[in-house]
Amino acid sequence: MSTETEIPVEVEAEAEIETVSAPMDDIHPVSRYFLFLGNEKVKRNFIWFPLVGMIISILLGLHFKQKHPLPIEEYIPGSWAIYGFIAYSLIVLSAGTLFKILGRDESYYGEGGLPDPDYSTDPMVTGEAHHD
Amino acid sequence: MIDQFPILAEINPGLWVILAGLICTLLPVGRARKAFVIAAPIFAGLIIFQLHSVTAAQHLGGVMSFGPIELTTLRIDRLSVVWGYLFCLAGVINGIYALHEKCRITDSSALIYTGAAIAGVLAGDMITLFVMWELTAISSVFLVWKGGDHAYAAGVRYLAIHVLSGVMLLAGAVMHAQANGGDFMFNAIGLDSPGGLLMLLAMGIKVGFPGLHMWMQDAYPKASITGTVILASFTTKFAIYALARGFEGEPVLIWIGAIMTCFPVFFAVVENDLRRVLSFSLNNQLGFMVCGIGIGGALAMNGVVGQVFVHVIFKGLLFMSIGAVMYRTGTAKASELGGLFRSMPYTTMFCLIGAGSIAAFPLLAAFVTKAMILAAAVENHLYIPFLMMLFASAGVMEHSGIKVPHFTFFAHDSGRRVKEAPWNMLAAMSISGFLCFYLAWPFGGYQQLYALMPFEMEHAYKPYTWDHVVFQMQLLFAAIFAFTLLKRFKLYPAERRAEILDVDWLYRRMGLNVAMWGSAMWDRLSANMSRARTRAVSTVGRRLYQTFSPAGAASEATPSGLAAVLTAGLLFVVLVIAYFAR
Repeated sequence: MSTETEIPVEVEAEAEIETVSAPMDDIHPVSRYFLFLGNEKVKRNFIWFPLVGMIISILLGLHFKQKHPLPIEEYIPGSWAIYGFIAYSLIVLSAGTLFKILGRDESYYGEGGLPDPDYSTDPMVTGEAHHD
Repeated sequence: MIDQFPILAEINPGLWVILAGLICTLLPVGRARKAFVIAAPIFAGLIIFQLHSVTAAQHLGGVMSFGPIELTTLRIDRLSVVWGYLFCLAGVINGIYALHEKCRITDSSALIYTGAAIAGVLAGDMITLFVMWELTAISSVFLVWKGGDHAYAAGVRYLAIHVLSGVMLLAGAVMHAQANGGDFMFNAIGLDSPGGLLMLLAMGIKVGFPGLHMWMQDAYPKASITGTVILASFTTKFAIYALARGFEGEPVLIWIGAIMTCFPVFFAVVENDLRRVLSFSLNNQLGFMVCGIGIGGALAMNGVVGQVFVHVIFKGLLFMSIGAVMYRTGTAKASELGGLFRSMPYTTMFCLIGAGSIAAFPLLAAFVTKAMILAAAVENHLYIPFLMMLFASAGVMEHSGIKVPHFTFFAHDSGRRVKEAPWNMLAAMSISGFLCFYLAWPFGGYQQLYALMPFEMEHAYKPYTWDHVVFQMQLLFAAIFAFTLLKRFKLYPAERRAEILDVDWLYRRMGLNVAMWGSAMWDRLSANMSRARTRAVSTVGRRLYQTFSPAGAASEATPSGLAAVLTAGLLFVVLVIAYFAR
């Protein structure tokens, strides 16, 4: 004899409705005003914000000269922007190579053991979130 | 209070916090323990305030003698008082953050650890400094072990390294004192003597010099959620104090500090565990301080003091926000997170404040203090260290300014819908967040920080000048632009779960393998030695038996002439020996 219980069609439909409306219910009331931050269009166009900011600060830098520039710096407009851009890109682009050289499996050192779920948790070993 | 109880002026205020911690080990009532956790650092802070306001220049107390050694267990001057206040403040904030945690071990070890750090920075002599140095290590390891079974080995390594550091400190202190007529007062040490070098190395371990740093990234991410926040506040800043006191203006520190600012950024960018990313970030920020101590002088040293003060607050804020995320979601792995601004808006906001502070955005904490160290480098024509620190500033923007908040709260939606952080965590983060603004506020905010700074400056550094704001914004906007551009062209690496090898591979893997090989070789060698010894004893025994036993060769019938010759020969040998041995 089967032990499965048949689910009435109406209940199934209700559950579906709940599933559809669930994401909004789970959102924190304050966060609802900021959901646009997750919008793909907003994310895509975010690039304009630092670009415009950078251009404005470079232009302002032409007017407000540094009081104590490095020896060569005064001849390079937007010197800190150029330096920041190159430094940041270098750091990020080095990640791939570094990962290949230094990356190992998470169990590389073989120091497994379970974190104490009351004080520290991690799904790698516990499998699910806690304290929710 | 001091007038009514003059004994308070003789006892190091940190000891009261340690005493509170010891009481907590016996106290079964959670609420009472929490009251101690909050009240003890406040009490210590009040005593420090009173003692400092009574004698603004320097207060010495708790003087005692052990044989020829004179100890001054309490010294409150313009340098140590800043760390004293800071550690009391951090103790209170950490206590609030940990209010939800009903754990006797955490409460008591946190208090003893906080008290030891306070007592250490307020110690006047090197022996008291050493005792507190070791006590911070011993008390804090319980916070690492509270992380669970997987933190056990890391905790043992943490303890071993810190105890070693303490032993080196003591050895260095004794050598230094011997070279200075037995004076154990902790003042400028310098690198003229072997004792000074040993002490620098001991401090270098605790502060995370390049190559000696891995205990930090090993232990901190494995500690309990509240444990990591507490650990990040004290140990390394205690060591920075010791460096500032003992090695101001040592040129070697400029280069060590500059390297320290740069190398962690490369590790942070490939690391997936955000608490480890923040540990690398901590290491990088300590580099600015070490570099500033190496530069020396009023501007750099005030910059260091200010940077230490704000760093404890904003780094604590970042650790607290990631701790809150871990508390709710169960993980701090970037690859498992994302989109949490939908569930944890306040935590998101606090994390962004911490990220903005560490990246030195105008109106946020590090904008004032980091600039002082950079300005001091330029003033002293140290252009290469300056450029290294500027490079590291872009790196800070990468790992703490962008990576941590982006992969936790934004990026792709991980689908996790959790509750906002508990009220006490939010309260602790609110205090830190407020201080991040207040201590950089142009109208009466950063001036309060200046009032704490110990060194007289001819002209107070003005952080809010057009050129400083504009050029800092150039750096930050360019870094954000580079991030968005790399993301757009899919050049920004995805977060992947992995163990990233670092210097600790030398002892965790190679050292362990060498030790295991040595142990196996020793076992084999001792087995072979034992076998050879047994064989030799048995051979000699057999030969003796064959010669002298009743059935042996010596018992056989021998001609009397030969026996006489043998006896005479033996007698001759005995006589010769007796002659020379006379």
